[in-house]
Amino acid sequence: MLKIENLGYDSWQTICFQRSTVIVADLALAYALYRYVQTPPASSQKATHAVATSILLSPALLIIDHIHFQYNGFLYGILVLSLVCARKQSTILVGGLLFAILLCLKHIYLYLAPAYFVYLLRACCLSQKSIFRIRFGNSVKLGLGILAVFGAAFGPFWYWDQIDQVLSQLFPFSRGLCHAYWAPNVWAMYSFTDRVLLFVAPKIGLGVDQSALNSVTRGLVGDSSFAVLPNVSPKTTFAITLLFQTLCLMKLFFQPTWEIFVGTVTLCGYASFLFGWHVHEKAILLVLIPFSLLALKDRRFLSAFRPLAVAGHVSLFPLLFTAAEFPVKTLYTIFWLILFLLVFDRLAPVSSQPRVFVLDRFSLLYITVSIPLIIYCSLLHELVFGKKYEFIPLMFTSSYSAVGVVGSWIGFSVVYFTS
Amino acid sequence: MAVSSTPHKLRKKKKEASQPATSSNEMASSDSKAIVQSPAFPLVAFFWPARKNTSQWVILPLVLMVVGLFRWCTGLWGYSGFQTPPMHGDYEAQRHWMEVTTHLPISQWYFYDLEYWGLDYPPLTAYHSWLLGKIGSMVNPSWFALDSSRGIEQQLLKVYMRATVIVSEYLTYIPAAIILSRRLAQLRGVSKWESSIALVAILMQPATILIDHGHFQYNTIMLGFVLASMSCMLSDHPIWACTFFVAALCYKQMALYFAPAIFAYLLGVCLLPRLHIGRFIGIASITLLSFALIFAPQLLGSLYDTHRGTSQPLSTIDRHVNPLFALVLPYIDPQSLFYPLLLQLTQTIHRVFPFVRGLFEGKVANMWCAIHTIHKLHTYPIPLLQRVSLFATLMSILPACMIISLFPQKELLPWALASSAWGFFLCSFQVHEKSDLLPLLPLTILLAGDGGLGVEMRAWIGWANMLGVWTLFPLLKRDELRVPYYVLSLLWAYLMGLPPTSLDLYIGKQASKSGMRLSTKALHLTFYAVMAAWHLLEAFVEMPKGKPDLWVVLNVLIGVAGFSICYLWCTWQLILRSGVMEEWFGFRAQMQAKGTEQKEEKKALLSPGNGTRATPPREAKSGKRQKKS
Repeated sequence: MLKIENLGYDSWQTICFQRSTVIVADLALAYALYRYVQTPPASSQKATHAVATSILLSPALLIIDHIHFQYNGFLYGILVLSLVCARKQSTILVGGLLFAILLCLKHIYLYLAPAYFVYLLRACCLSQKSIFRIRFGNSVKLGLGILAVFGAAFGPFWYWDQIDQVLSQLFPFSRGLCHAYWAPNVWAMYSFTDRVLLFVAPKIGLGVDQSALNSVTRGLVGDSSFAVLPNVSPKTTFAITLLFQTLCLMKLFFQPTWEIFVGTVTLCGYASFLFGWHVHEKAILLVLIPFSLLALKDRRFLSAFRPLAVAGHVSLFPLLFTAAEFPVKTLYTIFWLILFLLVFDRLAPVSSQPRVFVLDRFSLLYITVSIPLIIYCSLLHELVFGKKYEFIPLMFTSSYSAVGVVGSWIGFSVVYFTS
Repeated sequence: MAVSSTPHKLRKKKKEASQPATSSNEMASSDSKAIVQSPAFPLVAFFWPARKNTSQWVILPLVLMVVGLFRWCTGLWGYSGFQTPPMHGDYEAQRHWMEVTTHLPISQWYFYDLEYWGLDYPPLTAYHSWLLGKIGSMVNPSWFALDSSRGIEQQLLKVYMRATVIVSEYLTYIPAAIILSRRLAQLRGVSKWESSIALVAILMQPATILIDHGHFQYNTIMLGFVLASMSCMLSDHPIWACTFFVAALCYKQMALYFAPAIFAYLLGVCLLPRLHIGRFIGIASITLLSFALIFAPQLLGSLYDTHRGTSQPLSTIDRHVNPLFALVLPYIDPQSLFYPLLLQLTQTIHRVFPFVRGLFEGKVANMWCAIHTIHKLHTYPIPLLQRVSLFATLMSILPACMIISLFPQKELLPWALASSAWGFFLCSFQVHEKSDLLPLLPLTILLAGDGGLGVEMRAWIGWANMLGVWTLFPLLKRDELRVPYYVLSLLWAYLMGLPPTSLDLYIGKQASKSGMRLSTKALHLTFYAVMAAWHLLEAFVEMPKGKPDLWVVLNVLIGVAGFSICYLWCTWQLILRSGVMEEWFGFRAQMQAKGTEQKEEKKALLSPGNGTRATPPREAKSGKRQKKS
């Protein structure tokens, strides 16, 4: 089973073993959520329980971990644990170290690192009263801890001179802007616009890049080049990501409370997911899980959360494509959405600031559209077109989800900066 | 989607205040301070947030989705006869019937190649197979191609077949269960909230899910018709009840287990409190009419086929195969109109009731199989065994039928059905291990009734169900369904707060208040311990040489003991609740003119709150003896 040459080995025992490791690893998430439920004041007990249950039962984790196969439950368990630890001044260092461990487990969390950096710097290394007084004891402890963690993780590879190889495996810039199934981010909308313009361009007199026509992604991994719109380079994506991250970091720097910190983590996740290079749709968890912790803060947060909950989960549907999995993913997701959106709706307290109610109507409309979309993508398309135009359902799903994710991002940013 | 986007306050409708916890069901175990209430068992805990003012329009869809998910996920596992040529199993049988019914004229359905899974269920199953076969052929005709599709195993076909089971169940069993649980709740004054909890308990019953969605059968359709018939009887629509019950009988002949009790109840309704001749005629004629309607397509089809000359000529039919037809053959003219009709009818009956087969099949936890392990029964001639089993069955269903016809009360109906079905299961001819779903059905339905989720009823019903699913283990193991078996049965035990996951029912505060007898507790706990020990034995201990089926035989023997106790318990409860005993005691009390003691007892029995009393098996036996004498 563990022989490296044995690629594609899938005996029943192996599947059982691997699946059960995922379930056992999920205990980390359960423990983290248990700790999370213990921390808050008694007034928000119910809301905290609801949030913890919603994360534990998340259909995203079910789809990605238990059907598709990954260990996200475990990783996000550590993330939640480190967030919970960061809540109290006494355990804040532990929170930082846990995050360092997390970085060594999966480097996707680098996207969240700026928020951690600023928060630890402000809440732990600098004095509460004045930002010009440095607390050396804490800084040294934190620095040594992080060095030790990274040393333990990368030390062996550095010792055998493989560090270059490791890094090039970790950061694959040679791959394209969009992943095979476009993740629902800004670039998906960009690609969709490009596709539409392809038909419109000749009529309004825009030039079409003929070389790009033949190599459009069409649901394949590879360099995506755009026919009408200008191409995007990795550097551009990074610049945009960093720009949006810096904006929210500024707020955190001046107001280092725990809730703002979680908000910043969420926004860092949003920025990287929306503008990052070669983002995978699974990365939506980076936004979903930290946001869940804040969703019940008040009703304004909840209205930003709703479209994300729908879009985030719908965007994961293309991951599972066999007929047998279809009822599982859709039924479970719909169950979760109905149950938790109703529960959240009951539990979320009224916000202190006024809200724009028209947006709620839009979000309801948005949620309703998901039903015909799912039906079309999973049933009607194949009935009408057969195996032709396979990219169309994928394109619809990701463009639809992109609208939801971007909408919730804007909504959340507004709430974040105004509260 | 039912997501309400209304800001701020929910638009709450004024509803009749549903009591969060009624006393009869002991849903909440109140603390000694009497203010703090907590859920009595885990399933209640899941519903705890919904106990006030949560609309049924939210609860019901969510419940249906969850139970549907569990069913579908069970379906992802193996099925009976997977990769076991040449005969495969029940899955292949059902698929084969779809193939036969869609491709052959109706007159040949019960004749075609009987050696390879010949159709042996009544016509409604055949029509259902025809419909599913037609729909499936639209998706992929090769799935149901005549002869060439035998033993076909495809991923997509499996998905289709599993989907047909679920869709059929959602059209019959589940609506019937919902309506029946509502009806029982209305009848006995149970709150909607409790009724929803009972509904989940009923729908998550492990044995039914495992057999239908794991092993692969369509039992829930027949069970659904039975439930529909029950709920019609509860709402005073005996005519509809007959129609549904005939449908159940014509889907699977196993519904016959309930027939004596239903017949006795309907007879009682017609005779008592006063003779109601119009109703009697109505019931009789509608029953005949429903049978006629269901058999009509088959008979008319065969007439048409004879007319066109496509019918099977007699020479190819082996007369010995169909003894019934051989009986009537000398009296009819081969040219007459009745000839094909009789041929069809006798062939169907002959296929459906295979008396030529043995007393029991495989290893089933009923009396004959148990006796067979001690004293070999196959040395006796089959007709003798048939007569003995018929006599034993009649004796076992007699108490239930007598009580229900003398006291045709609605609340006694599930008990009578359960008692009659247990009697059939234990004593009748040609029983399958899967048939224990039938007696378990009315028993489990009692959860939705008055006090159904209280400690004692939950303990008994839970115990019967755990025992029932446990006796199915050898069958499920053959289908590689061990994981779903463990998951679903332990899940149900957990939800209902039963051993092995929790001992709250038997030990601790809740148990001491319930007033369950020590002997009952000891009995249940012994059985649970034995079942657990058997699992360890089966999993880790090598079978002794020369006795290949020792563990299965052990399973059967323990199962028979438990099922007999279930039978006695149901019968005893029926007798107790019917009031026969009180009449008897009252009569004696009058005779002896010292009434105080008995009156108290009578009060205790009549008050709905603590209707059930501890009934250790020994007492039940003595009660039966009294009855017979």
